[in-house]
Amino acid sequence: MTTEDRYSRHRAIAGFSQEALQAAHFLVVGAGAIGNEVVKNLCLLGVGRITVFDFDRVERHNLTRSVLLRESDLGRGKASALVDHARDLDPAVRLEAVDGDIRDTLSPSRVRDCDAVIGAVDNFEARLWLNRLCHLVGRRWVNGAIDHRHASVEAFAFDPAVAAACYECTLPEQVYARIAERYSCGGLMRQALAAKIMPTTAITASLAGALAVDAALTPPTASRRLLFDTRSGHATTATLSLRADCPGCAGQAAEGLTVVSLPGVTGRGLAAWVEAHAPDQAIQLSEPLIVEAACHQCGQTEATQALGGRPGRQVSEAATFCFQCGSEAIAVDLRDVVEAADLVTVLGDRRLPLAFARVGPHLIDPSLP
Amino acid sequence: MSERKLVVRTADQTRRADIQLEESSTGAEVLQAAVTNWSLPTDMDYTLVNTTTGQVLTPSAALDRQVKDGDVLEVQPVLVAGAAAGS
Repeated sequence: MTTEDRYSRHRAIAGFSQEALQAAHFLVVGAGAIGNEVVKNLCLLGVGRITVFDFDRVERHNLTRSVLLRESDLGRGKASALVDHARDLDPAVRLEAVDGDIRDTLSPSRVRDCDAVIGAVDNFEARLWLNRLCHLVGRRWVNGAIDHRHASVEAFAFDPAVAAACYECTLPEQVYARIAERYSCGGLMRQALAAKIMPTTAITASLAGALAVDAALTPPTASRRLLFDTRSGHATTATLSLRADCPGCAGQAAEGLTVVSLPGVTGRGLAAWVEAHAPDQAIQLSEPLIVEAACHQCGQTEATQALGGRPGRQVSEAATFCFQCGSEAIAVDLRDVVEAADLVTVLGDRRLPLAFARVGPHLIDPSLP
Repeated sequence: MSERKLVVRTADQTRRADIQLEESSTGAEVLQAAVTNWSLPTDMDYTLVNTTTGQVLTPSAALDRQVKDGDVLEVQPVLVAGAAAGS
């Protein structure tokens, strides 16, 4: 048995502050290949706190790239399984797993209260969501991504002192077309759209995980990208250019908004808050909400009324079929900007089913503690 | 209308070409030409990095203020994989 300081080798590094690491809190979004590596590295470094988000469950093919997951985890929530194993690495690290879609579970308050968000996700939509939320709150985030050959890490400096590019500033237009393929023209989720299988390896995942943690520990002075080609050993670092007409950040406050916590607020409750604190301000929702649905033939039915007040992504395009008249005649009105009166009509005393809503300089957080 | 003489290469540096184009051309047009001429996978997206200045170019903007003669532009894949976290 030894009483040697666990972190003695870290303390031997000039300028390294173990105490600063122990005071830090990181959010890791994605508990797959890169997320496993990120959590492993953060635990070995002895950070204070890590919160891991993922909606998915462990499948057999995950086990070739996810260093902390095991055969016995098959079928479990990825975030929970990862956190359970990570606890063995350093019991002093406070770990929390959040199983669920980040559009339901990642609140502005959580982002505000962390030091950095590390994105280890596998799709553009989740990245756009993280980018938007981090930009609104003014918290830096790191985006890790891989294929079978390359590892890419981008760090976004959402700091009041820096006019820095966001994830969307250099994103090709075709990406939006790919996202749009997942939705019907009415904005509802298409059914049975096969996901493309991306070939990846433990080698690129471990590299991206290491680079992502390094980037998260180093507050950036500009938004930057590092692309590493594992076969040639060629690496390119580049600064991301700020785009004046960027769909993600142009006209948005880079210094962050004031987060207002209204736990479990209802439609009526939020409408009253808006009337009291920001009258005449439009309410910008975090995602489109169904404000009205009706059949062209039958008008409003029990089925169409049940659609009102639900986020569009939770409703498939099959919902446009009316069982009463037997035709695809249900029209759905989705909106992401509403008035206070709309919330009373659509939600009434039901809870706001969204992660956040922006009202002028306020970012409303309806999440429960 | 003035032109720019540039070098375009892939990230793995296996493909390289000297090009000459109008300064009003956009990064997106260079990328499209690279995908077509070099038969790069069409189910991926790409960005253009000016390795001389160390700037990722804005794809929709004209090249005139983003490049100068002799600059080396690198076609980089936009990577997507990592995990699934919600959406």
